[in-house]
Amino acid sequence: MSMNIAKDLDHVRTAAQDLHRALSDAAAKRGDAVKADLEAVAQKAKAVTESVKATIGVQNEAAKKHLKEALVDFEALQKHTAEALKNSGQAFEVSIRQTLADARASAQSVSEAIAAMRSAQSTKSPK
Amino acid sequence: MHNYIAVIFKDTRRAYKGLHALWRLDAEGIITVHGTTVVHRDESGEFQVDTKETHPALATAVGVGVGALLGALAGPAGAAIGAAGGAGIGAAVGGAVGIGADLRRADTRDQATDETAFVLAAGKSAVIADVSEDSTSAIDTRMSELGGIVRRRSWTTLQDDVWFGDYMPGSYLLPYEYIPPGHLL
Repeated sequence: MSMNIAKDLDHVRTAAQDLHRALSDAAAKRGDAVKADLEAVAQKAKAVTESVKATIGVQNEAAKKHLKEALVDFEALQKHTAEALKNSGQAFEVSIRQTLADARASAQSVSEAIAAMRSAQSTKSPK
Repeated sequence: MHNYIAVIFKDTRRAYKGLHALWRLDAEGIITVHGTTVVHRDESGEFQVDTKETHPALATAVGVGVGALLGALAGPAGAAIGAAGGAGIGAAVGGAVGIGADLRRADTRDQATDETAFVLAAGKSAVIADVSEDSTSAIDTRMSELGGIVRRRSWTTLQDDVWFGDYMPGSYLLPYEYIPPGHLL
């Protein structure tokens, strides 16, 4: 059971890392190429948000707290990605920066959830 | 324990081996790495942060953000000097601030131990990381094997450095292992 919980959380973390990677790669591009990448990011962000919701219930309290923070960040990421897709010029740049900050914050929260889970497991394990 | 660490290596190649080893410890579930980057200081004292190719504005933010973290790793005195001049100073003279802070505190060995003096000498490289660890021994042992010297400041202490305000010190560290193509192991 705990092995599955750990695996689920690892998958969520990998997805959050991939989102950050994709966004920072997109930020290096210009023009329509950025928007095409952002559309893919928006879809992935939605899927990761659902994964977090699915896994949150079975975590310990500390991990749950971090995952709730991650949910807020993933939702902000979706909102800012949608704005970036509509915006252009300076407003677009601002949206991209916000989106990247959201992706970084969500990856951090998921990672902290993993740390909390690992710490709880090491406390339970016989020395 | 949630800590920020700087692992100092004599050259870039070793720093990337250290970075890889850190993420390996994470993959083994021994520690959790939240973010990392590699910083170099050239012979003329200039800092360079390795980051992905990105928008110029973001690259500047990364330089300033990681520079601010470097200043903070120098200890409270370094952070205070950074606060006086803004985060940009951390990017420019974080190492120099570290040296000054360390010398002023050298009269009290315990204090110097507690308040980590982060000094990145010219020509050296460092892995900067945000980690959670149940004990410090795993990182210390592995990095020592690779020739790295580990400096630590706790996440809580850095959050208490007033000048950070709402700025999250680790927010410009990459949340995954990134080794630039020119440095692949």
